[in-house]
Amino acid sequence: MTTVTTAPLPLLSRIRFRDAGTVVGLLLICAIFAVLTPSFLTLPNLMNILQQSAINACIALGMTLVIIAGGIDLSVGPVAALSAVLGAAMLAAGVPVPLALLGAIAVGVASGAINGALITWGGLQPFIVTLGGLSLYRALALIYTGGQPIFGLPKEFRAFTNGNLAGIPNSVLIVAALAFAAWVILNKTPLGEYFMAVGGNPEAARVAGVPVTLTKFAAYMISGAMASVASMILIGRLGAAEPTLGTLWELDAIAAAAIGGASLMGGRGSIFGTIVGCVILGALRNGLTLMNVQAFYQLLATGIIIIVAMLIDRATSGKQG
Amino acid sequence: MTPRLSLSNIEKSFGPLKVLHGVSLTVEPGEVHGLLGENGAGKSTMLNILCGVLRATAGQIAVDGTEVTIATPRDAAAAGIAMIHQELQQVPELTVAQNIFLGASLRRAGGAFVDRRAQEAEARRLLAELDPGIDVTAKVKTLRVAQRQIVEIAKALRANARLIAMDEPTSSLTPSEFDRLCEVIERLTAQGVSIIYVSHKMDEVFRLCRSATILRDGRFVSRVALPETPVQKVIESMVGRELAHAEHRSFATAEPMMKVSGLGRGTAVRDVSFTLHKGEVLGIAGLVGSGRTELLRLLAAVDAADGGTVEIEGRVIAGSSPRARIAAGLGLVPEERKRDGIIRHRPVTSNVGLASMPRFSRFGMIRRAALRRRSEELMREVNLRPFDVTRPIGSFSGGNQQKAIIGRWLAADSRILLFDEPTRGIDVGAKAEIYDLIEKLAAEGRGVIVVSSELTEVIRLSDRVLVMREGALSAELGQGEISEASIARAAIPAN
Repeated sequence: MTTVTTAPLPLLSRIRFRDAGTVVGLLLICAIFAVLTPSFLTLPNLMNILQQSAINACIALGMTLVIIAGGIDLSVGPVAALSAVLGAAMLAAGVPVPLALLGAIAVGVASGAINGALITWGGLQPFIVTLGGLSLYRALALIYTGGQPIFGLPKEFRAFTNGNLAGIPNSVLIVAALAFAAWVILNKTPLGEYFMAVGGNPEAARVAGVPVTLTKFAAYMISGAMASVASMILIGRLGAAEPTLGTLWELDAIAAAAIGGASLMGGRGSIFGTIVGCVILGALRNGLTLMNVQAFYQLLATGIIIIVAMLIDRATSGKQG
Repeated sequence: MTPRLSLSNIEKSFGPLKVLHGVSLTVEPGEVHGLLGENGAGKSTMLNILCGVLRATAGQIAVDGTEVTIATPRDAAAAGIAMIHQELQQVPELTVAQNIFLGASLRRAGGAFVDRRAQEAEARRLLAELDPGIDVTAKVKTLRVAQRQIVEIAKALRANARLIAMDEPTSSLTPSEFDRLCEVIERLTAQGVSIIYVSHKMDEVFRLCRSATILRDGRFVSRVALPETPVQKVIESMVGRELAHAEHRSFATAEPMMKVSGLGRGTAVRDVSFTLHKGEVLGIAGLVGSGRTELLRLLAAVDAADGGTVEIEGRVIAGSSPRARIAAGLGLVPEERKRDGIIRHRPVTSNVGLASMPRFSRFGMIRRAALRRRSEELMREVNLRPFDVTRPIGSFSGGNQQKAIIGRWLAADSRILLFDEPTRGIDVGAKAEIYDLIEKLAAEGRGVIVVSSELTEVIRLSDRVLVMREGALSAELGQGEISEASIARAAIPAN
């Protein structure tokens, strides 16, 4: 008498269980700061946290897909810098904004494709390829600019990235839209199934006819594109494109994905979890800043949060069997 | 005589779930004792308790009449108990001697340095009786599985083990390697070492064991004397019901379905040509290493062929990727399920749909409801247990994982199924189900190829048998010609 409708979905509930854990973590951190500093739990500050988390979230979305597909992308920061300086150069030269944006994103996609090619056709480890990319793309950005920032971004571009809709910053809206898209890709499309299959068991995926090479390419190209979008948000905010921007972005993104439940072994992860992970990191930094805690201690707190999150993850997933 | 090992009323619970209900077992000195049961019967839990990986919730363990507490693997070793796991726990990059002394290295210079020379000498001494052909300075990764197993046994002897538990030791051995293992086991028992032998293969159990304990659903069922007890009775105690003795049924037609010509890859597979017919079950037999598995992998294009063509229903398949073969109607049910078959963390639905995602998608979106409906339909057909397609496939037993992989090809509408060792690591009850399923696939007009190293399985299933020897076909046996003797004759190389 097995019916289709009655039984709850254990897998879904398990994923939800993990996501719920991330949310509890976030609420706990918010509750602590709300008690410690009165200005934390105010609407402007919460909006501030979201805005501050937006760039990391954008990077982390791509990173999550790459990690789920069994890889890692250490080159996101430099890819962002390279697209930032090339995009800014186009903007400064008077190329129409949409075209320049597309150009910048194309730079990210191309960098991702290079990573993908070296990993699939070149047969190299993702860690090594993107570690090389970390230097390579940074060097290209520095060489192109001679180490100098690029100024002269058009007003309408800055107005767009710094604008808001009904009080919600455009950057947050953009990242929210991208997060929704990433969630759809992961959970609703064959590509998402392929990400999880390739990351979970690449050989079994190949035997089952999954286009493994294409799947990996897609993950790194999406990650590159996300890095470009993040860089556009940043240069819009700053008004200049530094070739050194994006330093250590990869680590924040990996941390957010891991806090959100992505397994660095591949095959598992959650877009929702990653976003909450980003907000956890953002809230932590924001709260500590409001409390005038020195930057060194903020770093310390971030490290502790990551490790504690992983320990909790380990302990609870062990019980889940 | 004081028993070597006596486990009494062992209970084990994981939280509220009780998996062992007061199981008792005794092993005499120098005895080979079988531990039998289906998957999930509690054999692994018993072994894990014995070697200190798990701790019993209740019960006593006595070795040579003295009660011992085994809380850690170290305690087990101290009590003279060693375990040879199915997946050998060795460090492939280290040498044979280093592996034998792993965690207990011989030291010199006051313990500051490892005394390699002494270790190698001692390893050589231990291996002299077991297999002198093994080079103690060779890296373990260069050895064959059978040799690696001997190294594990040497390691157990190094630790002065008086009882060695072997978990499915022959799952990747050839018949001659099994003979060699039997000799080693006989030598060990002659020295008074006791063996607990866990295996699904009844012929092995009956050859080696003098007695056996049968478990079912975590309970003790019976202790039987071997080989006096009839096989059928042993199996029925394991399964808990009577098994229908199935005769081979043929659904073969004369209509060609797949024509393979000149297929080859290096020396592993050489110039293989044959035709598979609609509704036919074609068995492929041969020794391990004769190229059977390699041939299936070439057919599924999991490995690339050097030459040859595959023609399905009159059309030569152009592409040489697994995708192209799947699109042409081929589906491989691989031998190494964990490595080549399942996506462990994903639910049954995703595993079933993996090869045919576009079929379940509309406008680029997966229709989850349709995928689930189809998965449930297929899994009901193959009798998935427990019947829950949303559970991660990794949480199912081997036999049920196998059913899901078969379901994957049914979902993809594969017309030709390639089975590589379809019942390896699958318990007796599920085995019969897989056989029925293969028969049903043939009855539906599909073509089936079965590679198996169990001759009884090949004979039970096949309408026709191809025998491979050293990468090439050495015989084709039609109905009436198939027998253990005829297969063996064609499989074993001259001299």
